Amino acid sequence: MASDTIKTYRFRGGVHPPEEKLTKSIPVRTMPMPDKVFIPLSQHLGAPAKPIVSPGDRVTVGTKIADAGGFVSAPVHSSISGVVKGIVDYPHPAGRNLPAVEIEGDGTDQRDGAVKPRSNPMDLDPGQIKEIIREAGLVGMGGATFPTHVKLSPPEGKPIDTLIINGAECEPYLTADHRLMLDAPDHIVTGAELMGKILGVRRIIIAVEKNKMDAVAALKKAVLGGDTAVVALAVKYPQGAEKQLIKALLDRSVPSGGLPMDVKVVVQNVGTANAVYEAVAENRPLVSRYCSVTGPGIKNPANLVLRIGTPVSKVIEYCGGLTQDVRKVILGGPMMGIAVWDFSVPVMKGTSGILALTEEYLDENREGPCLRCGNCVRVCPMGLTPLMFARHTQLGAFDRAEEFNVMDCIECGCCAYECPAHIPLVHLAKYAKAEIQARRRKAQG
Amino acid sequence: MFESIIVLAGLGLLSALGLGIASRAFHVDTDQRIQTIAGLLPGANCGACGFPGCNGLANAIVSGNGKIEACSAVSDENRKEIARLMGMEAAETVKRVAVIHCNFPAGGVGNKFEYLGVTDCRAANLVAGGPKQCVYACIGLGTCKSVCPFDAVTMGDSGLPVIDPEKCVACGKCVEACPKKIIDLVPVSRMVQVLCSSRDKGARVKKVCSVGCINCMLCERVCPFEAIHVIDNIARIDYEKCRVCGLCLRECPTGTIANLRGWEVVAEIGESCNGCTLCARACPVDTISGTAKERHIVDPERCIGCGICVDQCKRDAVTLVKKTAAVRKAAAAGE
Amino acid sequence: MRELILLIISAVLVNNFVLARFLGICPFLGVSKKTETAVGMGMAVIFVMTLSSLFTWLAYTYLLAPFHIEYLQTIVFILIIAAFVQLVEMFIQKASPALYQALGIYLPLITTNCAVLGVAVINIQTTHNFWESVLFGFGAAVGFALALVLFAGIRERLELSDIPRPLQGTAIALITAGILALAFMGFTGLVKM
Repeated sequence: MASDTIKTYRFRGGVHPPEEKLTKSIPVRTMPMPDKVFIPLSQHLGAPAKPIVSPGDRVTVGTKIADAGGFVSAPVHSSISGVVKGIVDYPHPAGRNLPAVEIEGDGTDQRDGAVKPRSNPMDLDPGQIKEIIREAGLVGMGGATFPTHVKLSPPEGKPIDTLIINGAECEPYLTADHRLMLDAPDHIVTGAELMGKILGVRRIIIAVEKNKMDAVAALKKAVLGGDTAVVALAVKYPQGAEKQLIKALLDRSVPSGGLPMDVKVVVQNVGTANAVYEAVAENRPLVSRYCSVTGPGIKNPANLVLRIGTPVSKVIEYCGGLTQDVRKVILGGPMMGIAVWDFSVPVMKGTSGILALTEEYLDENREGPCLRCGNCVRVCPMGLTPLMFARHTQLGAFDRAEEFNVMDCIECGCCAYECPAHIPLVHLAKYAKAEIQARRRKAQG
Repeated sequence: MFESIIVLAGLGLLSALGLGIASRAFHVDTDQRIQTIAGLLPGANCGACGFPGCNGLANAIVSGNGKIEACSAVSDENRKEIARLMGMEAAETVKRVAVIHCNFPAGGVGNKFEYLGVTDCRAANLVAGGPKQCVYACIGLGTCKSVCPFDAVTMGDSGLPVIDPEKCVACGKCVEACPKKIIDLVPVSRMVQVLCSSRDKGARVKKVCSVGCINCMLCERVCPFEAIHVIDNIARIDYEKCRVCGLCLRECPTGTIANLRGWEVVAEIGESCNGCTLCARACPVDTISGTAKERHIVDPERCIGCGICVDQCKRDAVTLVKKTAAVRKAAAAGE
Repeated sequence: MRELILLIISAVLVNNFVLARFLGICPFLGVSKKTETAVGMGMAVIFVMTLSSLFTWLAYTYLLAPFHIEYLQTIVFILIIAAFVQLVEMFIQKASPALYQALGIYLPLITTNCAVLGVAVINIQTTHNFWESVLFGFGAAVGFALALVLFAGIRERLELSDIPRPLQGTAIALITAGILALAFMGFTGLVKM
């Protein structure tokens, strides 16, 4: 097989948090259609979508309810059939109330009439495939939610020679991608080939961490040939971060401030590949996703197919509720996920997991003084010195923090995970980045 | 003895000669005024004037690129002194102070989650807009305090920063740093303030805060000077028009508006009053009494100092005076 | 030749003026907050010390000693040092106004820097000859500059540290200077004259 000939490399730094993949062997169930969904208009990086429905409109599964608000944006579709109640300000995982389309379900789960499978997806030309992807509202399903069609449109003069399909799922607890790779390896492979066609690349590498050998086997079986390879990578966090993945597979380093396309690579998540297949071959827009509902604080951990817009509280209820000692519920994984501030926030396109953590799993120690132990430097996969930029940030010297390359921080959380003084290094990095960006904007006028 | 005088004098002359030549060679054109002006400026190097530090402003003033008024922190005497040095007239500047437009502790604004991150409002604001239930509320982690170069901000017991109007020089550092943008610079004479910044609709405000502006428009209706308007769901005061009468804060059902001015003014009617009763009719709080054609009296206890009577009087008999202990005493004596 | 090299090394490291003889502590603490100003100060001191040790030796040997007016030693030395300091001050004001601003009062204070006078006096006491005097002055000044820059580097790092409140400022600076002096004790025995 082609995969055996691919040499893998090591990226520097990284940590080995306990894997805790509680839901690894639980087959996926589909959560029944919720009676009400709140579909946020801002589920992706970039401009929010513009609503094209008004209160009282009847919608079916897959009806487009909002159009892209710009080039870097994605349309939004209804995930249930029912009646639009209105466009309301609704709690959003970003921490504020943001506009969302409220749809009350009619229980019929009727599909959009226009949704008909295509029999010959591979015969479409690249432009058509890209247009279908754009129309289907596809965004990066790994969590960054960057609109997929934008990522598949590298600017002139940036040739791409490799497409990497990211199935590393290096975050502890999460198993949604793992289950997807077991359930639909052929869809992922076809989706990858479709994206490869858009980019005009032959070499496609599907990368999976070694703790999911069953998924590797399933994918290998699905690969029919060509230059598509399935590679098993060492288990190390953050193996699934774009830049680290590129380093591990191709030994190429993305330059500071650059993007994967600067080293001729595009990275897409396995979830995205599957969604591409569904959009192109089955003509289904992105209205649901695989999601792990897991953690020590969930009574019945499960892997679920969730409709976009289902309130998190409903999902937790469906999984038996929370245990008494839950202290934090996180959307995404424990390393990079965002804590939920209101249980009514909806599941979005980028929600790969709902994780409930109890007190003993949380580090709520007070921040102590830095010991200069250097652990953060050792584990930083980007080769930064988190202690230095964090300290300068604490002192308000953002220009000095910038000199320590805080802008290259990928916020993976390795440093904060290792820090024996419990310094919130990632938060400081995010803070410094936000301040520096604000200053840059101000300087530009 | 003789030798020592010769030796010392000779060495002195020699050095003087050398230095004299050197001072020609290394001559630098320096305007002595720059140093003097830099010495008169506050020296906090806060940068609010837009020049790099106080020296930068001193340079700019001497070279004509900067104005003395650019510095809001310099004391009045020093400003006049600088103006004298530069041979120009010092423009009268209105002393301003920073005011925090939120009163969340009194409103009982709770937290929507427990915040464990970096102790800095700007950092906290990144996490779901801060832990306060009201997204417009003061986060209360003291970023304004840490950026204040003049130590004018202290953290109150309730968690709300307190600005000392004596120390505040309106440099604007806190205005810039506050992630909620709820601090602004206000003329000290216009200190009737809306202590709320919420642009939420009234019902939503009521849910999270008992002292928030609920856009009831009562203040707008009662204001005799059209100085207060509800724009974007929040009452805003036009400091040009406001006369600090305080009628709006009496009307405000939630107590959102407060008078932070340190003194009060009252109307006084002088000798030249002919008892035309125009003032008594115009007074919004009915504090002017007296029979027609006789000198009227203002009840200084009830007078709000709005100055409408001053506008009405055709004989310039009414004046506004600062309400001092003496005035109060006179009132008590029934004079 | 070897003697002279050893003399320089001894003046720079073993008998460092600041850290072993404890002379010139005032500018050492005053201008060591930033490395750039420390470097500027170091350069100024190197210039003043080298030239003033040269001229003080000349003045002593050819003016004071022949006329037996050695009692004027201090006043003559100060006169010479002050002249050089004035020269440096004019030059820096012309060449680098920023450095002039940063050094502030410490620049004219080189005049009363006991390290500069100390070099001149030690030169006479230890009966150095002309070249010994010049090189000793130069070595002592380099030692001063070295200590100043090292200390400034440490203080820049100290700015980032959580220092207990009672120790902040000069207190921690003095403790650090003490530890730095301890470290320089390691050079004892490096040179056997």
